[in-house]
Amino acid sequence: MELNIARTGTTPEVRWDPVAGVLSISGESYPENSFDFFAPVLQWLSMSLASLGGLRVEVSVSYMNSSSIKCMLDIFDALGDAHAAGKKVDVVWNYETDNPRALDLAEEFRSEVTFPFLVHAIGS
Amino acid sequence: MTPQQLSRIREEFTREGVMICFNGAFAHSIIEEIGNALRRYLQDQEEQKSAALDVFAVYIEQAQNIRAYLARKQFREAAAGNAIIVIARKGERYVVSSGNIVEAEDQPALASRLEEIRGADAAELKRLFKERLRADARSPGGGAGMGLIEVAKRCREPLEYAFHPVDAGHSFFCLTAVV
Repeated sequence: MELNIARTGTTPEVRWDPVAGVLSISGESYPENSFDFFAPVLQWLSMSLASLGGLRVEVSVSYMNSSSIKCMLDIFDALGDAHAAGKKVDVVWNYETDNPRALDLAEEFRSEVTFPFLVHAIGS
Repeated sequence: MTPQQLSRIREEFTREGVMICFNGAFAHSIIEEIGNALRRYLQDQEEQKSAALDVFAVYIEQAQNIRAYLARKQFREAAAGNAIIVIARKGERYVVSSGNIVEAEDQPALASRLEEIRGADAAELKRLFKERLRADARSPGGGAGMGLIEVAKRCREPLEYAFHPVDAGHSFFCLTAVV
């Protein structure tokens, strides 16, 4: 199943790499309607998690508005359900060291999940 | 507006360190463009990336809160759908102020939320954020809860707000955030 959403001024790039088994979300996310933007991602995720043995989500998002934060939690909840059902899922969250808020947010999310959640610093 | 009035407004803006001011119908494209202009300005000021992002984020949350509220309310009179946003620089701080019409019946809930947030320290804001994150999940347009907490987290002073009565059913809600 393909998923390839190009980056815009207010939305991140969302891309599925079937070879690596990685769904990457990168850029910034502050659309007016985050739920509309993330709906197809969530839909893709629930279909893929049903058919695949697992996957990794790699997040490199330097800024997210509050409604995008809620949508990210929905994504992580879907991963949590899959993890509880025995799928192999994990998250890699990349943040730049000069952006401490992105680290705070990663820590908030990490405390919400039970699957492996790696927070990875990138020097800038 | 006469040239004299315009000059007076300009003088006032200069005195207050106003960088950007917008008053009118708040379309998403306008919010985005003002945001881009703000970022360019902050870049020119050579603000640290994280500090610039805080100012930008506070602006985005305030603007999108207003836009979501006005879209939900669909006020009949055109002027009621207008909003004002002012971004100013005061010394080392940035001040993001916004104003919009709210229905009188929404005022108590909004005021109590703001009071709760105003009184919260960093740890308490973190707790409120977590609480809201779970409560608001899967409820689009679920109110200004998370947005206001996001604003407060990035502020260096407690949020200031006021409601000015407009008519029996409406007030003008003003919110000022110092980043």
